Amino acid sequence: MTEITVTVLRFNPETDAGPHPEEYTVEVHDGARVLHALHAVHAQDETLAYRYCCGSGQCGSCAVQVDGAPVLACLAEAKDGMVVGPLALPVVQDLEVDLSPYLERLAYIDPAPCAAFPTKEEIEAIKPLRDCIECMACVSVCPALLVTDFAGPTAMRQDLRLALDPRDTGDRINEAVKEGLFFCTSCQRCWKVCPKGIEIPGKAIERLREIANRQGLSLPRHIDVAELVRTTGRSVPRTKETFLEEVPGVIEPEGEARATVGFFVGCMYNGRLPDAALDMIEVMRRNGIRVVVPHEQVCCGSPLIRTGQTAFLDQLKRRNIEAFRSRGIDTVMTMCAGCGSTLKNDYDTPFTVMDATEVLDRYGIEPPAKLRIAATYHDPCHLLRGQGISEEPRALLRKVAETFVETPNRCCGSGGGVRSGVPEEAAALGAMRGEAFEASGADVVVSCCPFCEFHIAEHTKLPVKDLMTLLREGYEQKDRDGAGQQ
Amino acid sequence: MRALEVIDCHVLVIGSGGAGIRAAIEADRYGETVLLSKSITGKGGCTTMAEGGYNAVLRDTDACALHTEDTMRGGAYLNDPALVDALVHDAPARLSDLVSWGAVFDASADGEVAQRSFGGQCRPRTCYAGDRTGHEMIATLMERLRGSGVERIEETPAIELLKDSGRVCGALTLDRKGEVRAIRADAVVLATGGGARVYDVSTNSGTGSGDGFAIGYRAGAELIDMEMVQFHPTGAVYPYDARGRLVTEAVRGEGGRLINAAGERFMNCYDPERMELSTRDVVARAIATEVLEGRGTKNGGVWLDVTHLPARRIEERLPVMLEQFLRFGVDIRTEPMEVAPTAHHIMGGLSITPEGQTTLPGLFACGECSGGVHGANRLGGNALADTQVFGKRAGEAAGRSPERRATIDRVQVEAQEERLTAFFRGEVSPISVQRQLQQAMWDGAGIRRNESDLRTTLGTVGELNGAGLNAASGRNLTACCAVQNLCTTAGLIVRSALLRPESRGAHYRTDIVQTWDAQTSPFGHTRISLKGAGIEEAGR
Ligand SMILES: Cc1cc2nc3c(=O)[nH]c(=O)nc-3n(C[C@H](O)[C@H](O)[C@H](O)COP(=O)(O)OP(=O)(O)OC[C@H]3O[C@@H](n4cnc5c(N)ncnc54)[C@H](O)[C@@H]3O)c2cc1C
Ligand code: SF4
Ligand code: SF4
Repeated sequence: MTEITVTVLRFNPETDAGPHPEEYTVEVHDGARVLHALHAVHAQDETLAYRYCCGSGQCGSCAVQVDGAPVLACLAEAKDGMVVGPLALPVVQDLEVDLSPYLERLAYIDPAPCAAFPTKEEIEAIKPLRDCIECMACVSVCPALLVTDFAGPTAMRQDLRLALDPRDTGDRINEAVKEGLFFCTSCQRCWKVCPKGIEIPGKAIERLREIANRQGLSLPRHIDVAELVRTTGRSVPRTKETFLEEVPGVIEPEGEARATVGFFVGCMYNGRLPDAALDMIEVMRRNGIRVVVPHEQVCCGSPLIRTGQTAFLDQLKRRNIEAFRSRGIDTVMTMCAGCGSTLKNDYDTPFTVMDATEVLDRYGIEPPAKLRIAATYHDPCHLLRGQGISEEPRALLRKVAETFVETPNRCCGSGGGVRSGVPEEAAALGAMRGEAFEASGADVVVSCCPFCEFHIAEHTKLPVKDLMTLLREGYEQKDRDGAGQQ
Repeated sequence: MRALEVIDCHVLVIGSGGAGIRAAIEADRYGETVLLSKSITGKGGCTTMAEGGYNAVLRDTDACALHTEDTMRGGAYLNDPALVDALVHDAPARLSDLVSWGAVFDASADGEVAQRSFGGQCRPRTCYAGDRTGHEMIATLMERLRGSGVERIEETPAIELLKDSGRVCGALTLDRKGEVRAIRADAVVLATGGGARVYDVSTNSGTGSGDGFAIGYRAGAELIDMEMVQFHPTGAVYPYDARGRLVTEAVRGEGGRLINAAGERFMNCYDPERMELSTRDVVARAIATEVLEGRGTKNGGVWLDVTHLPARRIEERLPVMLEQFLRFGVDIRTEPMEVAPTAHHIMGGLSITPEGQTTLPGLFACGECSGGVHGANRLGGNALADTQVFGKRAGEAAGRSPERRATIDRVQVEAQEERLTAFFRGEVSPISVQRQLQQAMWDGAGIRRNESDLRTTLGTVGELNGAGLNAASGRNLTACCAVQNLCTTAGLIVRSALLRPESRGAHYRTDIVQTWDAQTSPFGHTRISLKGAGIEEAGR
């Protein structure tokens, strides 16, 4: 037996003004789960309200937050000092939340009278969507639910499960659209917390959007974007000189080359924020990295995949892969979080893909001057969850900003085609983001994704900068300081 | 006293496991149906935890007569033949119901529901959905339920059955705030599941406190064969808090081998013909004996090994097991699992007819809270079939019950209110009573039994049953009721075990030498009710 301290967020909405933490010291056995620690707390204080039933991860009753992350109490290991709170859903009491409004929105089958048993292939397609234990962890973290009446990630999973079942007679695609199919920002939070690892955005929502697309149900703004990609190879219209038009095919570093990478620029940095991309190039040059920029590269296809318009996706993929493969490049660098996530997760590439922050982290950088700013960092969903990158950008930021403050992570609302397709939702999430940054005490917001930066800039009074721009400014400051000393 | 709130309906179903939901779906065709559940609907009970599968005769290579024979032999011929007949004949049709309602069972290459081998059966007869079969069934039944007119009352246990001149006419319920309500019904179906939680080491869910046995018994219904408790041979040993967690029989079905600490495949000495696929009672006793005789692991278990199987097969067929063991640091593709027996299933229960009618008018029962289907030992895969076959039958019979006008007995209500108020005055923690009970039952009424230990255990159970339980707040009243039910269930098990002077199926008496086997046994069912208890004996 070992002794551990557990803090539980207690709350009785009928008598308490708000949740309050209470600390307990309990003894648990080796290998105890959070649930067993809660049992031990309960043995000390029988007024604790918490749910559990099967104790083996199959009934979905015991989802709670441990240190802010949703887990099943019966599966997550108990840790000394952990803070256990309810899921971010309406609290009934203590750790019990009201699941019923979300359970009610799950569609149920409307079976044809004498339908045959599905084929093995059909069964295999449905099975991964069937693992859901309706714990509602996904619902509790979904940003779309904060600002829309989205039915939630698992409701989308259920819609696809039914759409794939030949026994069902319902019109699931139309229903899914009504229930908010296009509200998903593809932030990837839902499936990262799903105890069953059901990849709802990629394996359910995008599949539903594909079927919706085939049925002519794509949003008009999404269709426009797809048309733009089809005709120009780019998802952003040309309004000024693009990055690719400005740079040569190979950009040599200052001094000796320590490494060579290919650069996949992406539509936003190419057409809308080329200056940030040029800043990145300067940072690479300064740090001895040769950058090869194939000019025939096109849109990665992310705007098409996220919105289910995949008809000519393969052409884009082939062209992009060929652009780098033909130059013998073994590492392709991305700078846009969305492009990086797409190349890493939706492509099968003969080369390694790395985000610019990973490249700089791998080779190490010359320290820039510390700018006299208080910076906060916005984790782009497609970098944080899409690529699992959170430390590298922070480490770089700490090198260049005198003060660094955290702002709790949340999706800005611009992804998944939401900015173009459901602008009110994107604006509402953007506004929440803006408020959070302004409350953080920072005087500049820094990120690594052109979509996030562009969107957040519309919703905050604070300046929004790309991390690469900031690094370049750090070097410029350093040079000025050096010149001043001489 | 405040006026008692009363809900009226035609059929009240208590319990939302596989049997209860199935019963409610059926009863709904006849009139207003309420499905009452201690947990969130569909999240309680053991059905959703069932991994292995559902037995049904589907192919020409199999036959109902074979399923019957396997079930009877497995049950040491204590099964009620009429119930077995109903089980075997209806199981395929009830599986078809599930399939037509959207169940996603695994398919074979020929486009049918796939079947695999399970212990004690002469044909591969067990239909499955990976190793989450019960979860698949509940998912299917919940979809059907959501599309039905059944009213659901959640997180509210039934604490007592209401009676009007000898007939069950509803139940009293207790919600999370400690409020009592009455549900009046023309017929009541008990589908509260099992009660293996009376043991310290058990596979069961937290709701398995044996409520149905206890409240049925208190209402005057007869229970049979309550001594028949199945110990599943393979429960997890580590970590301590998850001890007893089921390691599905499918592991042995897929070819898993049992090995003792000396490296011997010991089933050779107990059942060389069927080896690891012998019936559960035989395998459980074999493991208990190996451990008792010093050939166990240091944690008191044996090894269950699938490392000779291709990794892909393990990943495909046993994903839940793979994941669960990985979580505790064991990769079953390359290392054996450590296992030991665990209390799993109560074969006994409320005595029913094939229509689910108990011995009390107005009261029906189905699923694990009923007795007689599985005799002295249940075959893997028969319980899930049981929930569907008898869920439908009980739901239908209850639905066909005539409408009645019943009055709610004030005396009964007041007695319950008094019982609850007393919990605020009590001083003993229900948690500590539960722990003591579970330990006493494991030590004295477990796999190997003898009269003297059973008597001691009965004494302990009696004392614990009389403890003045304390409720810290209104919401703790349900826990007090559950612990009392646990004590009552334990008492029924031990008293019945004392009644049966033989070893049969899961009931193993080390203190009795017998000259008969299951088929020639002079004994029949044990029967226990408020009126008395006894065992059927040939020629008496
Ligand atoms: C881990 C495990 C694996 C198993 N695997 C298999 C298998 O592979 N194949 C097989 O055939 N069998 C298997 N079994 C056995 C089988 O799952 C059960 O016997 C069967 O599911 C019982 O179903 P049920 O509907 O009777 O009860 P349960 O599913 O246990 O449901 C009981 C319901 O009653 C409710 N309840 C209890 N008390 C009250 C009350 N007082 N008031 C209101 N509601 C109440 C509970 O909340 C729950 O909803 C397994 C059992 C376990 C524990
Ligand atoms: S990806 Fe994000 S927005 Fe989309 S359903 Fe999941 S949590 Fe919600
Ligand atoms: S999809 Fe995953 S997280 Fe969401 S309810 Fe189902 S099991 Fe829980």
